[in-house]
Amino acid sequence: MSQNVSNRRRILRAWHDAGNFAIFVVPGVTVFAAVVFAPILWTMWIGLTNERATRPQTLFVGLDNYLTLLGSSTFHAVLVNTVIITLIVVVGTNILGVSIALLLRLETRLYSALRSVFFVPVILSAVVVSVIWRSLLVDDGLLNTTLRSFGIQNPPGWLSDPSIALYSVSGIIVWQMLGFAVVVYLAGLAGIPKEIDEAAEIDGAVGWQRFRYITWPLLAPSFTINTVMLMISAFKVYDQIAVLTNGGPGTGATTTIAFKVVETAFVEQRAGYASAMAGLMLIIIAIASTLVLRALQRREVTY
Amino acid sequence: MHRRSWLRPFVSLFLTAIFFLPLYVAVVNVFKSSEEVVRAPLALPLRPTLDNVIGVLTRPDGLFWHGLGNSVLLTGSSIVITTVLAAMTAHYLVRSEALWGRILIMIMLTGLMIPPAVIMVPLTRVLRAIGLMSTLPGAILVNVGYYLPFAVLVFMGFVRSIPKELEEAAALDGASKFTTFWQIVFPLMRPASASVLIFLGVWIWNDFLTPLLILGPGTGNTITVGIYRSIGTYQRDFGSVFALMFLATLPVLTFYLLFQKHFIRGLTGGATKG
Repeated sequence: MSQNVSNRRRILRAWHDAGNFAIFVVPGVTVFAAVVFAPILWTMWIGLTNERATRPQTLFVGLDNYLTLLGSSTFHAVLVNTVIITLIVVVGTNILGVSIALLLRLETRLYSALRSVFFVPVILSAVVVSVIWRSLLVDDGLLNTTLRSFGIQNPPGWLSDPSIALYSVSGIIVWQMLGFAVVVYLAGLAGIPKEIDEAAEIDGAVGWQRFRYITWPLLAPSFTINTVMLMISAFKVYDQIAVLTNGGPGTGATTTIAFKVVETAFVEQRAGYASAMAGLMLIIIAIASTLVLRALQRREVTY
Repeated sequence: MHRRSWLRPFVSLFLTAIFFLPLYVAVVNVFKSSEEVVRAPLALPLRPTLDNVIGVLTRPDGLFWHGLGNSVLLTGSSIVITTVLAAMTAHYLVRSEALWGRILIMIMLTGLMIPPAVIMVPLTRVLRAIGLMSTLPGAILVNVGYYLPFAVLVFMGFVRSIPKELEEAAALDGASKFTTFWQIVFPLMRPASASVLIFLGVWIWNDFLTPLLILGPGTGNTITVGIYRSIGTYQRDFGSVFALMFLATLPVLTFYLLFQKHFIRGLTGGATKG
């Protein structure tokens, strides 16, 4: 009799738990699975086929797409572009970010106002930022018109010269992400205990020395966050390319992996090849961010 | 040291001014005639005009108003649904402590760094299969799923700081888990909700690739995609382009200013050592 009651109670509780699970977890996880998780696996699968719009029959081709990609000079160029952008963004934004944070860290109204100026581009969409810069940098844009009025006959083609465009694009991305890095470094600076600064002062550590041996090592957690975040966002850059150069000038001088994936998938309609490229992109991001995160966290000091 | 006390404010002001220059150009030229824009892009508007703003607001194709309506609907619905679903998921997973819960969390966290470009091909097929391709509900669904991991992560950190005893007391009083969540836990998580709302609000408003591919061409797209389209139609009419961007940015800027402190706090949460 009593066993019967406890059994019934257990079944009731299991029903209850299942009900809660269905209410709390199932809706969110189902949507996530449908629009993110399943598509990741599906991308990997399509990447192993030769599917394209003009081909009537899709076949499983194994790693053929991946092998073609690794041997393709076009893809090499795309990969190099993406790596250059990522390096410039990670290095440039970190250096400028920590410098601006050190310069503007004072707690007066002036510096607090100046800090918010640096944060404005972070709130703006990449499309807005790119259209602003495009208006400035196109050949008959506002910058070159101004330069010509100062008597400079042949101002550079900031976005039309294949040897310059990639650096212009990288610079614009640095400009937009700088505010983010500054805020993270400011938080890091605010977290450094006062006693450490005072001790350094008493020991006579000043200027570069003090930064190199005291401040910078203590900013390691901020450096880690900035580097990983900047790396991941720069590696997948699409919007800026679409607005500023549309992948050009010439044959893909500024084409990034993300841009190439979308172009191959939705313009050339080669789903198989594009998906293999997406798969490769995913693998590179996963490996690179894991390695960088590990390496950077190891150098974070404890105090 | 003291002799050079003017140096730091001077350098700070100078560098900030250079950094600000593109934004200054974008704002000041909204209020100038087209020929004035090209003649003196850096000058303040001598004879300020609202022609560009009025021109954008009264475009015959309604690009601004359609885009604004779509952006408000898409952003508003996406952030509210994501916040509610993420808060419930995070609360359940943190409290259950089951193994499968931890596995689920790990899977979701891998979703944090997936570039949208990677999943676009199958995503368009999923949406076609359920008949939601090129519709606002379809785009909302994509946003909810895509931003859920980030929101769950924020809420999980917060749930851990809420004493379990509160919920146990409510359970003893006979409240169901659902009631407890809505009446006790969710109100306590207001700071986390604010962080999630502001981050997702800014991100989704500014999204480009996802609405471009999911909502497709035509006037049924967001204001951010509308700006991209307008660079073709406006060509060298910089004043009008700047006016459109100015108007398109005002709502998100206002929203940001209202919730500012949650944004900065959320951003810097992991940057300091506890």
